[in-house]
Amino acid sequence: MKTIEAEVLVIGGGATGAGVLRDVCMRGYGGLLVERSDLATGTSGRFHGLLHSGGRYAVKDPSSAKECMDENRVLRRIAADCIEDTSGYFVTTEKDDPSYSDLFVDGCRRAGIPVEEISVSAALNAEPRLSPRISRVLQVPDAAIDAWKTVWGCVRSASDHGGRALPYHKVTGILREGDIVVGAVVEDRAGDEVRIRAGFTINASGAWAAQIAALAGCGGFTILPGRGIMIAMGHRLVDTVINRCQMPTDGDILVPIRTVSVIGTTDEEASDPDDLRILQDEVDRMLADGETLVPGFRQVRALRVWAGVRPLFKDEKAESSSTREVSRSHRLLDHHDRDGVEGFITITGGKFTTFRRMAQDSVDIMGAQLKDERACHTHEEALPDSEERTYYKLGSRLAAREERLHDEQIICECELIGRRALENAMQRRGSSDLDDIRRTLRLGMGPCQGGFCIYRSAGILHSLQRIDAASATASLRDFLQERWKGLHPILYGDGLRQARLDDWIFQGLLNVEQLQS
Amino acid sequence: MTPDTVVIGAGLAGLTCALRLTEGGCKVAVVAAGAGSLHLGGATIDILGYDPAVVTSPAAALGSFIRSHPGHPYMRVAPSLWAGALEWLRARCEPLHLTGSLDENLMLPTAAGALKPSALAPRSLAAGDLGSGGKLALVSFSALKDFYPRLAAANLNRAQPGPTERVEARAIDLHGTVAGEADPGTLRLARAFEEAAFRDEIVARLKGRIEPGERVGFPAVLGLHRSPEVVAELAERIGEAVFEIPTLPPSIPGMRLHALLNRALRKAGGRVVMGASVVSSASHNGRLEAVSTDTGSRRSSHGARDFVVATGGVSAGGVTLDSSWRFKESALDLPLAGVPPPGTERFCADVFGSHPVSRVGVAVDEEWRPLDADGRVVYNNVRVCGATLAGAEPHKEMSGNGISLVTGYAVADAILRS
Repeated sequence: MKTIEAEVLVIGGGATGAGVLRDVCMRGYGGLLVERSDLATGTSGRFHGLLHSGGRYAVKDPSSAKECMDENRVLRRIAADCIEDTSGYFVTTEKDDPSYSDLFVDGCRRAGIPVEEISVSAALNAEPRLSPRISRVLQVPDAAIDAWKTVWGCVRSASDHGGRALPYHKVTGILREGDIVVGAVVEDRAGDEVRIRAGFTINASGAWAAQIAALAGCGGFTILPGRGIMIAMGHRLVDTVINRCQMPTDGDILVPIRTVSVIGTTDEEASDPDDLRILQDEVDRMLADGETLVPGFRQVRALRVWAGVRPLFKDEKAESSSTREVSRSHRLLDHHDRDGVEGFITITGGKFTTFRRMAQDSVDIMGAQLKDERACHTHEEALPDSEERTYYKLGSRLAAREERLHDEQIICECELIGRRALENAMQRRGSSDLDDIRRTLRLGMGPCQGGFCIYRSAGILHSLQRIDAASATASLRDFLQERWKGLHPILYGDGLRQARLDDWIFQGLLNVEQLQS
Repeated sequence: MTPDTVVIGAGLAGLTCALRLTEGGCKVAVVAAGAGSLHLGGATIDILGYDPAVVTSPAAALGSFIRSHPGHPYMRVAPSLWAGALEWLRARCEPLHLTGSLDENLMLPTAAGALKPSALAPRSLAAGDLGSGGKLALVSFSALKDFYPRLAAANLNRAQPGPTERVEARAIDLHGTVAGEADPGTLRLARAFEEAAFRDEIVARLKGRIEPGERVGFPAVLGLHRSPEVVAELAERIGEAVFEIPTLPPSIPGMRLHALLNRALRKAGGRVVMGASVVSSASHNGRLEAVSTDTGSRRSSHGARDFVVATGGVSAGGVTLDSSWRFKESALDLPLAGVPPPGTERFCADVFGSHPVSRVGVAVDEEWRPLDADGRVVYNNVRVCGATLAGAEPHKEMSGNGISLVTGYAVADAILRS
């Protein structure tokens, strides 16, 4: 069995894990991250893309609200290229209790969230598709954040500081010597086992944290997976994040991100964090809620639905009836104090917006255990591509495309991906998995959901001689199967027509079903 | 002029039906929302490709296929009509030299390197038939993003058509821009091939790169309206057989077929109104009297003795599904058969599975008249053909254009007989 040495091993390749990897590396430790799948494919890649202002928690959870606002400011500084500065409205619809908005304003003020009342007519001017039946609009500094770009940015930053991430390395066991955790055993994509010897291990596996902790013999807590669905709608219905001004509930937010708008979310208690079912009833509720925010919502093409699980922490003793009642604040478990196990901590819970803070707190605890306290710098240094501190703007790909309109092929028309960008991503990722390339570039994430670009991408992947025809064909088919999961529950209207056209292309025209993978 | 028949839809089913009626002496008006789906395909007439194993002879397989698929549109096609429908189309598309027969499917290479069974195909495609194997050189234009012959060749080399027949395929790369364009698209390339200078350049670049006995495969862009001359000239100058493989849509062979049928219809005296969606209809005593179309600028009413619904299926918009999961036949709101009951699956989890939605459509009697859930005729003078019909899975069966052709032909036959 191959053995790798690392000073600090980070388990989990979501935002928290990537943030921890970056943090330990910036503090001068040699960090290694392992992730069972691709980076940001658990909870981090499965949310609506909101950079919280904290407004959502202003009434119910003031400390979370303040933490969100603080981190919102930090991320705007260090990850500007991942953020679109959309701003956010909290709107009182005809279905919301009007008295909540006063509580909301008070809560925002107490949490230090800049909140400004704007007139309904000004809001409707700025967002003409918004329901004219709203009665009050409060503006807060919400924004949209690209999860994949942020997570990869953290990993790139970490590698600039000597760190390394290994996607597709699944932890199968935690190595213990007596009461000390000394690393983990992982299984790579080929199914081979690798032993990782580490001086310290940080479990940042989110909704899977209890499973990983159990491998180390540490228990006494559970993670309640709160499953929520989100639906990406075919284009930008709004350019501002729209929240319902009421206590957190289903279908209370519409986030404009990149070329789409995402509505979220539901909250169902699941027993397994890998249970990503999408129920018809949930889809119907989301569409109805969308109609409340934006009349005509149902006539818009739904592009894709997905489910994500929130890692909601619960100590065995605490009582709770619903997952929404569990605090969204993150939890840091010092297994030395809890279980008498050294060299091992767990960080879980929390929100995407606060991932950097969670990382900082974790590495602080590690420093305390190691009696080697070093200062955190993650809030000071910008991520790669964000050095100029300018926000991402919708239309930037179009602007770049217009500059070279006649000298480059466009492979994915929906997301405006040129051939060079695609080939570079294929080379850089070194992956033959088209779904990995999708997350890097948003390949196939637009209205045709890969109908045109995936055959092209498979052809290009093969012609770059990265893989043989059987693997290219398998990658093409896997991509289609993976997309299908998020498509069939929301296929109606033009989306259904598109899906039937795509089916015609792959079955009728190319007959890929008959090809052996 | 009040037409005898109004045909709604201008895809293969509608055009077939309208042309045959016109030839039979009817005054026909075609009203259509769009140009139909022929542009999306390779102009191959796929009668039956899978049942579910690959079908070598549609003529031999159809009997048992129909018996095991009650409610399939083929069930209503009189056995005597099959050969006639194919021969009729062959004669109408003389310049394309439709090749093949009901007796034996061609096995045509696809752009992904699979083999696709088709009964009939334009000669330029049929020349790539691999039923008996063969040596192929596939020409790639790096500027064309909708065709990847390296992948196709590598897959063809893995997919052998039979125990003894061998395929040997390879790709020949032609790098660089086409007519100065980095991203020309199939239509631009097809137009380039109609220019003598461009053909000279291609022939020159291929010189010495083709092995004797190799058939030379191009993406299906060898000319738009002058393709037979273009293909013949290339074959002669290259010195080997030349064939085409359909690309991603828009598909040039489909555009050629569509243009031919459209021209034939207009020449025969048929009227075609495009951009006209049916928005309402008027009926009396079980007979449809008129349909109203909306062309953007104005509404028009079209009365006739007979009406034909050939609006296509879900993909063409002939059948719609809204966000409350209600299916609707879009022209006349005809009853639909095969609708998955609420709470049951509309699709299955396997992307290439047998999706219940595929079979949704209008059920008809032996005269092709629409039926309601109790089996009663809805309108005595309305007939339905093509992908609007219930009961087929055209993509899986590889039967799409086959259904459109033979049912469009059969509906015209039924109207002419009445």
